[in-house]
Amino acid sequence: MSATVSPDRILKQLADLWTAEGRQGDAGVLRACSMTLVVIAEVSDDPSALGETLAALMPEHPARTILVRLSGDGERALAERVYQQCWMPFGQRRQICCEQIEITVSDAALADLPSVLLPLQVPDLPVILWCRSARLTDLPERRELAGIATKMVFDSTNAPNPAQALGRLRDACGKGLLVADLAWTTLTRWRESLARLFDNRDYLARLAEVQSVRVAFPSGLASAAWYLAAWAANALGRAPSLVPGASALRLELSSQGFSVSLAREDDRLVTTVDGKSSCASLPAPTGYLLMREELAIVRRDPVFERTLELAARLAVHSSSEG
Amino acid sequence: MLSLSSMAPTNPFEDPLRFERQVPPCVVVIFGANGDLTKRKLLPALYRLAYDRRLAAGFAIVGISRTPLSDDQFREKMRESVQQFSEDTPLDPAVWNDFARALYYVAGDIADAALYRNLASKLAAIEAGAHTGGNALFYLSTQPSQYAPIARGIGAAGMGKGNGWRRLVVEKPFGHDLASAQKLSDELHEVFDEAEVYRIDHYLGKETVQNILAFRFGNGIFEPLWNRRYVNHVQITGAESIGVEGRGAYYQEAGALDDMIQNHLLQVMATIAMEPSASFRATSVRDERSKLLRSIRPMTPGEVRKNAVSGQYGPARIGGKDAPGFRQEPGVAPDSQTNTYAAVTFFVDNWRWAGVPFYVRTGKRLAKRVTEIAIQFNSAPLHIFNQDGAGDSPNLLILRIQPEEGISIKFLSKRPGSGMTLRPVSMDFNYGSSFGERSPSAYETLLLDAIVGDATLYTRQDMVEASWSVVEPIQNVWRESRFDFPNYPAGSWGPAAADEMLARRGHVWRKP
Repeated sequence: MSATVSPDRILKQLADLWTAEGRQGDAGVLRACSMTLVVIAEVSDDPSALGETLAALMPEHPARTILVRLSGDGERALAERVYQQCWMPFGQRRQICCEQIEITVSDAALADLPSVLLPLQVPDLPVILWCRSARLTDLPERRELAGIATKMVFDSTNAPNPAQALGRLRDACGKGLLVADLAWTTLTRWRESLARLFDNRDYLARLAEVQSVRVAFPSGLASAAWYLAAWAANALGRAPSLVPGASALRLELSSQGFSVSLAREDDRLVTTVDGKSSCASLPAPTGYLLMREELAIVRRDPVFERTLELAARLAVHSSSEG
Repeated sequence: MLSLSSMAPTNPFEDPLRFERQVPPCVVVIFGANGDLTKRKLLPALYRLAYDRRLAAGFAIVGISRTPLSDDQFREKMRESVQQFSEDTPLDPAVWNDFARALYYVAGDIADAALYRNLASKLAAIEAGAHTGGNALFYLSTQPSQYAPIARGIGAAGMGKGNGWRRLVVEKPFGHDLASAQKLSDELHEVFDEAEVYRIDHYLGKETVQNILAFRFGNGIFEPLWNRRYVNHVQITGAESIGVEGRGAYYQEAGALDDMIQNHLLQVMATIAMEPSASFRATSVRDERSKLLRSIRPMTPGEVRKNAVSGQYGPARIGGKDAPGFRQEPGVAPDSQTNTYAAVTFFVDNWRWAGVPFYVRTGKRLAKRVTEIAIQFNSAPLHIFNQDGAGDSPNLLILRIQPEEGISIKFLSKRPGSGMTLRPVSMDFNYGSSFGERSPSAYETLLLDAIVGDATLYTRQDMVEASWSVVEPIQNVWRESRFDFPNYPAGSWGPAAADEMLARRGHVWRKP
């Protein structure tokens, strides 16, 4: 593997790709780009699954994608490859194409990465850094990488220490960075279902009676549970209680004469109000669906930031209890 | 003075950045529940909204028709319709069961007061059980002649007002001329205020028609060009490749002018030509649309003869298959004078558009199905590159509404190589492929808007009357004329007279 990559060479290769693509067929290609998406993943991250996720994101969020693969320990190594992601919209003659650049980098060469990424950004468009590698949050280079990003997306669910990950996210957010956590994004449909329930004026009037906010969660969903509890607690001004060891994530709001719960059952979200249940389709969130939502928000997210603040505290408290 | 205790509490769980907009609880009452529109469009759209969790928890539907049916029989019929006509929505048993539980049915004759008493009892029971908040949306999916009797029946049974809001949705046609449109509005206003009447024009619910507003008023670079100084003329095309498809009897009464231009295409024209509104509030946007429609110059009979062309398709062979002419369609008189094609040159009498022709055409059995707006800009004032005539090619901005929604800009570019040879190139934005997300159907958009109380995409009384004022002089002349029909073969781009109408001003129709 080579030890250097040249951004100029990559840009030249991209230009050549477009020229070659344009010569094929008479309908030509349409180049689409709304952002630079930098994806940082381990070499062991399933390349075909990741490729499918990126391909699925492109029609709605066309981007120049820079996939950085972390090859781990070993000698200093840096290599690149350039290609296109194209698709033929149904019933149309013209291909739509997005650029993709893949860079493989060892830990020893990671410090060189920002200087490679900087000239590869598409001018005037946001840069989204999707950090799929749980390890990166512990590496010192993350700060410099964060410096080139408009928004950073993590998933604390996969972090070795989710409580610590939430603390770092809160600190990054406090410094003015736009951050997102896919553990929070998984909760959007839950939160929306609960909000819609309280569009009902009768239920809304009884919300003040709620005394208890309880979130039960299985292992592996601790960060989602902290977020859910923090969000509900912020909304109601009640201290939440967290119950680990449950079989599925479940939120309960209750008072003496009124109770509401939300729980996942297979591919459905079951909402129960005073013992009466209804359900809505809620397929397991895929990486594509979560990223699709996050890529659509390139601005401050006040509800998330407020929730993160409390969730990070709940996480510290839970960890110290555990 | 408003005390704090009298203010309604706000929902603390709201997250407008991530959630879809808030939809209030309500009951939708559909008159004509066994009709085609209910089966093909309304129920599939409402089910899709439920599938996407866009409806409030307190939601119910009451279907009304003459056929005696139980609630369960109605549910079963609607399940079949949703299964058959929901093109891209699976029938999820759990979602359907929840949705179906909120489906009710009341049988009765629209002329019978007992129907409205039964409906009132049903609504009271639903309001108590399903927490619909007293909100009711009455959707009239019936013959237009039944609009006024239904409104009166609703009023007489005390359902015109209630604990929550009341809204009435009516489908086109809104009258068949200015006087009948005014009469219909007066009759509806006996029970409902104008703000409660939602006249649906499904064209305005299409994503790409809404995108016209985003394109014009969300960007700073186009609006300075959007006037008589830079725009040479505008062509609006609403072409269909199919014939009347068994609706010959209905179509014979309407015709292309009334069926398409009076409502859909004039609304599209108003969206293209209106002044920027001060906000995106319904009143503001509709005020501007209305002002534009009122600025369209009504024609004298002499002007109609020069600026409007009527057509009717004759038989032809298309792609190896025989296509019947309009007069050969079932239910159509052999000497029918109905227009299946209409092309009109409109002028807008305001400072922005004075002197700019707006060519609007529509027709059945044209060469292809396409709806688009083409804005042709003035050529460069001096053609310094005009060696091969390419320098004459004017800039075009094309807003495609269907089938391939998108925006194209045509401009001249230097051909690679030596010499200064120009060629036209097209820069395309494709709505469907640049945004891969499923677009909601027009009925999903418009039903949700009506439930939310957003009338931006609905037609107001003054807009309906303004468009009839423009169309009526043409109707009057055509009614008194005897046309030599058919005057265009099925599968063509319409009668030669339409080409001549443009040629008089040095223009030609695009072949989209």
